[in-house]
Amino acid sequence: MKSRTRLIALLVVVVAGMFAAFAGSVHAAKSAGATLTIWTDQNRKDAVTTVANAWAAKNPGVTVNVVAIQNFTDQRDKLGTVDVSAAPDIITAAHDWTGQLAANGLVEPIYLSAAVKKQFPAYTLNAFSYGTAIKKLYGVPTQIENIGLVVNTKLVKVPTTFAQLESEALAYKKAHHAAVGIAVQQGSGGDAYHMYPFFSGLGGYVFGVNSAGNLDPSNIGVASKTLLAHASLVDKWNKEGLINSAVDGSTAQSLFLKKQAAFWITGPWNSQLLEQSGLKFKVIQVPKIIDNAVPFLGVQGFMVTKWAGVHGVDALAQDFVANYATTPSAQVSLALADGRYPANTTAGKQVTDPVLAEFGKAGVGGVPMPNIPQMNSVWGGLGAAWVKATKGSGATKAATAFKSAAHAIAEAIG
Amino acid sequence: MSATTAPIPSNDGGRASWLPRLISAFSGTTGLAVKLALLSAGNGLAVWAIVTLLAKHQWIAVAVLVAATALIDLLYFGGARTVPAKFLIPGVVLLLGFQVVPIVYTVAVSFTNYSTGHVIGKQDAIKQIEITTLQPPENGKAYTMAVAHDASGRLVLLLQDQLSGKTFVGTQKGLTPAAPGLIHASGGVIESAKGYTILHGLALFDLDKTLQTYVVPVGKAGIRPQSTTTAVELQPTLRYDAKRGVFVRLADGAVFRDNRKGSFVHGQEELEPGWKTGVGFANFSSIIHDPLVRSPFISVFIWTFGFAGGTVLLSFALGLFLAITLNKKGMRFQRTYRSILIIPWAVPGFLSLLVWGGLLNDKFGVVNRIFHISIPWLFDANWAKVSCILVSAWLTTPYFFVVSLGALQAIPEELTEAARVDGGGPFQIFRRVTLPLLLVTTAPLLIASFAFNFNNFGNIYFLTNGGPFTGNSSIAGATDILISYTYKLAIAGGKGQNYGLASAITIIIFFIIAGISAISFSRTKVLEEVV
Repeated sequence: MKSRTRLIALLVVVVAGMFAAFAGSVHAAKSAGATLTIWTDQNRKDAVTTVANAWAAKNPGVTVNVVAIQNFTDQRDKLGTVDVSAAPDIITAAHDWTGQLAANGLVEPIYLSAAVKKQFPAYTLNAFSYGTAIKKLYGVPTQIENIGLVVNTKLVKVPTTFAQLESEALAYKKAHHAAVGIAVQQGSGGDAYHMYPFFSGLGGYVFGVNSAGNLDPSNIGVASKTLLAHASLVDKWNKEGLINSAVDGSTAQSLFLKKQAAFWITGPWNSQLLEQSGLKFKVIQVPKIIDNAVPFLGVQGFMVTKWAGVHGVDALAQDFVANYATTPSAQVSLALADGRYPANTTAGKQVTDPVLAEFGKAGVGGVPMPNIPQMNSVWGGLGAAWVKATKGSGATKAATAFKSAAHAIAEAIG
Repeated sequence: MSATTAPIPSNDGGRASWLPRLISAFSGTTGLAVKLALLSAGNGLAVWAIVTLLAKHQWIAVAVLVAATALIDLLYFGGARTVPAKFLIPGVVLLLGFQVVPIVYTVAVSFTNYSTGHVIGKQDAIKQIEITTLQPPENGKAYTMAVAHDASGRLVLLLQDQLSGKTFVGTQKGLTPAAPGLIHASGGVIESAKGYTILHGLALFDLDKTLQTYVVPVGKAGIRPQSTTTAVELQPTLRYDAKRGVFVRLADGAVFRDNRKGSFVHGQEELEPGWKTGVGFANFSSIIHDPLVRSPFISVFIWTFGFAGGTVLLSFALGLFLAITLNKKGMRFQRTYRSILIIPWAVPGFLSLLVWGGLLNDKFGVVNRIFHISIPWLFDANWAKVSCILVSAWLTTPYFFVVSLGALQAIPEELTEAARVDGGGPFQIFRRVTLPLLLVTTAPLLIASFAFNFNNFGNIYFLTNGGPFTGNSSIAGATDILISYTYKLAIAGGKGQNYGLASAITIIIFFIIAGISAISFSRTKVLEEVV
């Protein structure tokens, strides 16, 4: 190639590049007007889109861009590293992310009017509130969920006391040479969430509350006095084979569906499966042991991110979340779309699905999962204590297991 | 390329000619056109990136990008002198993109406090602290709001107290009660006001950033717009003193100072959020000094060696054994056997691992049921370790089977023949002749496999997730290897998500593996000299 041809070629390349860049910038400049980006997951995308579009129709000039993130929790994990241009203004969140996201400074406080607050159970709002000094509301609850005790009513009677549950389950186990009495999932990794009804029933708690009404990470109740005093019950259950840690998620499900267990502890995400199974069942709260055997409560809802302010759509995002997503009609369509119970009490009365309603009742008095970031240090240790104490032969004494878990958790929190 | 699908010419002469023809096709006009198109696309991308970076004031990145683009353009028009560079450039770019950048990023993160509570920048953190420490005063009011222009075009807020229904006009100077009948509101919406133009639609939405800082002062508190139709009365509890760079609590005058670790603190009290900042060697020193990190480190470290070494040795031994067995001449169904043995390799690893997790379940697992045993495969610390090695070996054996088979077939038969003539027994021949020759080709693969298993996060995560937990650590389980332990430390310790600490440990793991590999490779040179 001669040097002149070379020069011309170079010129062509540079000019072509400029054109490409120009075309790109023109395309980028087109997107004027107010756009609200909402992150959610695939399951909820349709419901969120419907609700958001209904709201956008009332606000001419606003377009809503609903993005389905593959994993629900990815919303939380990507929020800190996402580029401003792609960042969401609103996310659909689980309440136990509140502490972490607020401590990271990624979400904005929300102020609900007194009239709206009245429509929600206090615990749902509390679940989304966080602050080491000043407690703030960071999310608007839309759905609640909790696990319950599913009873196969054709095989056993619905128990009203724990002693009844124990004897029914063990009698069934004996009659059918089954492996366990109650199918509750653990596996070698442990599952503190599904074991919580037993934990709370024995008087255990995760974090105490300080004088300001905030969860106190230095007050750990994994080895509370009541729990230790009655820990021998766990040893008894283990010996009888009432529960066993070898049961993992899929085993628990198949035990119940194949009638090798008449009791199953699970959540509303399996309600469709239950209805299709053809089994006759009823969902109740685990009967009182020493204290009420309440489940952990999960609340889901919307949060406004700090990016809304950066994008200049803060007021709009707040309007959607605080004024529109709280209305009964929006709550009903959001909740029913993924088989959960609406947080708004007026909306709750409109739920006719009997299974959902039974799960709702099974959660009465439940404890919202702690929403402070220190909870990350609890799941592993608490789950492991249950695994050790209920692994059949060779199990650790429950009192020892919970004491060492409490110690390890305190150490991990630091 | 298989013989049935690829268009391989019939004779060797044809095979030799198509490649040069292909190359020559790219040296002519077609080649120039392709080259120009690719370069133009590259330049277009670069110009677009430069524009974007300029908008974000990333000057260094712009300089690097301009220089790199110019260099690439010049090289590809540089004629014969730059031919070697033309072949090197794509590789170098990919190396930089996929290897060097992540490494540099990891090293950079390891010197910061990037973790829960330290994610955003300092200016952002100050802004967030100011927003989140606002508090509704006692009997604080909430208002229905409309944003409007007054007769002279100034921005005002038309407000209605949600409880009492009284109406007000708010400006940045203060709040004045509206004359009766001035503001018409119904059903929680302010509809009109005489002498004011209420803003709707985009006219209102475009003012968002102005409204974010619009405050109607009321005593110590202020009324701030919240949504497009509501406002709320809030009172600051902290004041940021920009001159001194500290927060002062208004109630008691407590001063929150920058602790140089990315937080404003006053004694034990810490304001959230903090910010991301450099902390020097703090993460590295906490590996040594923090008992939470240090105490499980040693046992995890030893087990990591055991896991990687055990997996490699076992799978190599099994693979070699099978290869020798199936390398026998005149064996029937040889191909079938070989195909079956490769199956574990063809199934996605994580699937096999999850299936194995089920098979090894000590109460319901198939393994215990078939053999009528009750071994706590996953629930006992030592058995869980055995399970990890067995399952990993099961996954890796086909690889070593294939490799050994190839290596065995490459060993000339004359050598073993000669050894037999010299009176060597089968075991002696294997030990003195076959194995050393085999190791020449497979030793680097053994080292690579060791390094891979040293960091085999997937196997541990999907099979045991580090469990069972035996000791007093809430973080490290009995089968946690360094990398899964690092992962747990990053998400499960303290407030969770300690990326800085995790990066620091990652760097240490890198040095361990690099050291092992370097030593091992220098050893294999000794092996080569034997031949």
